[in-house]
Amino acid sequence: MSNVTRRNFIKLTGGVAAVGLASGLVPVRARAQATPHRVVIIGGGYGGTIAAKYLRMADPTISVTLIERDHNYHSCPLSNPVIVGLRDLKVQKWGYDGLKKHGINVVHDTVTEIDAAKSTIKTAGSLSFSYDKCIVSPGIDFKWGAIPGYDESAAKELPHAWHAGPQTLQLKSMVESMEDGEPFIIVAPPNPFRCPPGPYERASLIAWYLQRHKPKSKVIILDPKDDFSKMPLFQEGWKKMNYALEWVAGGQGGKVTRVDPAKKTVTTDMEEYKSSAINVIPPQQAGKIAAIAGLTNEAGWCPVNVKTFESEKHKNIYVIGDACIAPDMPKSGYSANSQAKIAAACVVASLQGKPEPDPSYVNTCYSLIAPDYGISVAVVWKFADGKITKVSGGTSAKDASAAVRKQEALYAEGWYQAIMSEMFG
Amino acid sequence: MLHKKIRLLALAGGMMAGAMLTGAPAQAEPTAEMLANTCAGCHGTLGQSAGPASPAIAGFPKNFLKTVLTEFKSGERPATIMDRIAKGYSDTEIDLIAEFLSKQKWGVAKTASVTGTPINDELAKQGEEKVKDCVKCHEDDGKKQDEDTPRLGGQWLDYLLIRVSDYKTLENYPQPKKMKKQIERLSVQELEAVAHYFANQ
Repeated sequence: MSNVTRRNFIKLTGGVAAVGLASGLVPVRARAQATPHRVVIIGGGYGGTIAAKYLRMADPTISVTLIERDHNYHSCPLSNPVIVGLRDLKVQKWGYDGLKKHGINVVHDTVTEIDAAKSTIKTAGSLSFSYDKCIVSPGIDFKWGAIPGYDESAAKELPHAWHAGPQTLQLKSMVESMEDGEPFIIVAPPNPFRCPPGPYERASLIAWYLQRHKPKSKVIILDPKDDFSKMPLFQEGWKKMNYALEWVAGGQGGKVTRVDPAKKTVTTDMEEYKSSAINVIPPQQAGKIAAIAGLTNEAGWCPVNVKTFESEKHKNIYVIGDACIAPDMPKSGYSANSQAKIAAACVVASLQGKPEPDPSYVNTCYSLIAPDYGISVAVVWKFADGKITKVSGGTSAKDASAAVRKQEALYAEGWYQAIMSEMFG
Repeated sequence: MLHKKIRLLALAGGMMAGAMLTGAPAQAEPTAEMLANTCAGCHGTLGQSAGPASPAIAGFPKNFLKTVLTEFKSGERPATIMDRIAKGYSDTEIDLIAEFLSKQKWGVAKTASVTGTPINDELAKQGEEKVKDCVKCHEDDGKKQDEDTPRLGGQWLDYLLIRVSDYKTLENYPQPKKMKKQIERLSVQELEAVAHYFANQ
């Protein structure tokens, strides 16, 4: 039992700070002045950069460290146009100097351990960090071998291009060098995966390219699923654009059972496909560090309290972006952005000893069917009945005018520039 | 008796305690900042857009933002995406968002990569010859903003070009009579030149 009454407490802390320190009763404000709160963020993508920046915007006294493996970032959103020569990869490339200007300590290293009991982090470069709160935003990793024949070395022959960068350019040269008449084969992943409309945007833009440069070729999507994101809009667009594009649904034999990178073949229950141009987007799970840190469930994703994004596995660790389970938000860049702001606000409130704020969630996501043909989905959610609950939203209208589709293509660029300036500006 | 107590508590500012006593579930009430930060992924941090097609909305007058969002919500204002988004907020939340954004400083974000339609100096010059009537309301080379007049000076060009196209092609686009008259008076080419002029300010 403590003898410290409210009155005594004020007297103690007001009069002799050392007493407060010794007894562990340190007022929040005094502590902030003495040693700043430390937040460590792991992963410098759509989630991590935003968490870092918004933490500093909300409370510049917090010491924020961002640990990111790479010195440069290549955005996946809008990397599909790079594959067909509509965009330079340079436009997708960003650096971390902008974040340093916000007073964020950016460390380029690979995290090898998070000790949730001790609140410490270790890196491959032998650095160690202590944290009051840790935000983990590791994106995705692939389940190598889940499709027999498709492992890490096979990905060198048959690129996934699901992390933008060198793989994007490899896929580009594959599209350029394929014979006119050969099919371009996309192996689509099962749910859940990063960027649900991404494989179908890629298929659309490659079909657009083939229409112009290899009119005897077509795109074949082999899919384990029977439906996909923005499906009615994509199918309407494929018809309107008169694309040579075949989508093989799971129920119609689309599920791939084996790939052979040497023979350049893809096998389903029904058929064997052969082409020099094969793009395999493999099944996915949360980025590796999430599993190492014990943040994942048996499916490989991270359960979180969806009101705050604090991990259900470990206290004081928050998981945001593609790695977390946040139904029904898609695993998109904008979802990660939205979740990062909520987690940052909750971390700040918690460190300041205030109640965590009520969240507001948004996703907006554009896809291109052709350079001047954009479609979108936008959803607003709030926290109700213990879960993320949709308030409004949906996809672009079917049968919209060409002018509207063109505007949406322009707004896709607006989306990209805004969200990049949020992350790196 | 109990009811009386609750009322007294509420009057004394004990709203939370009141809700707890009656056992009513607390209604989620995100702050203005929480709500407005969700706009930033498309409109830039604090509404300072990085272009080229998403307009900067930082520092716009509160009532102007409120009107536009409410018109998006009701469907009165034609939109590609903002109608779907605006429906996600109550009138109170729209008020909070408008208030928050109106307090931000006007500006556009500078980014490393430049995309979108470049400003054409020749067109901007042609536009300057046509803005005599525009700047009667859009004063100070379009940099003025008040409750009825959104800022045009320094706004992103592709956004202004989209507006020109909408004004000229969509029926019943919400706009003041004075604006409608000028839009009708100028051709699409002339309005595009005017857009280049204002974007260049």
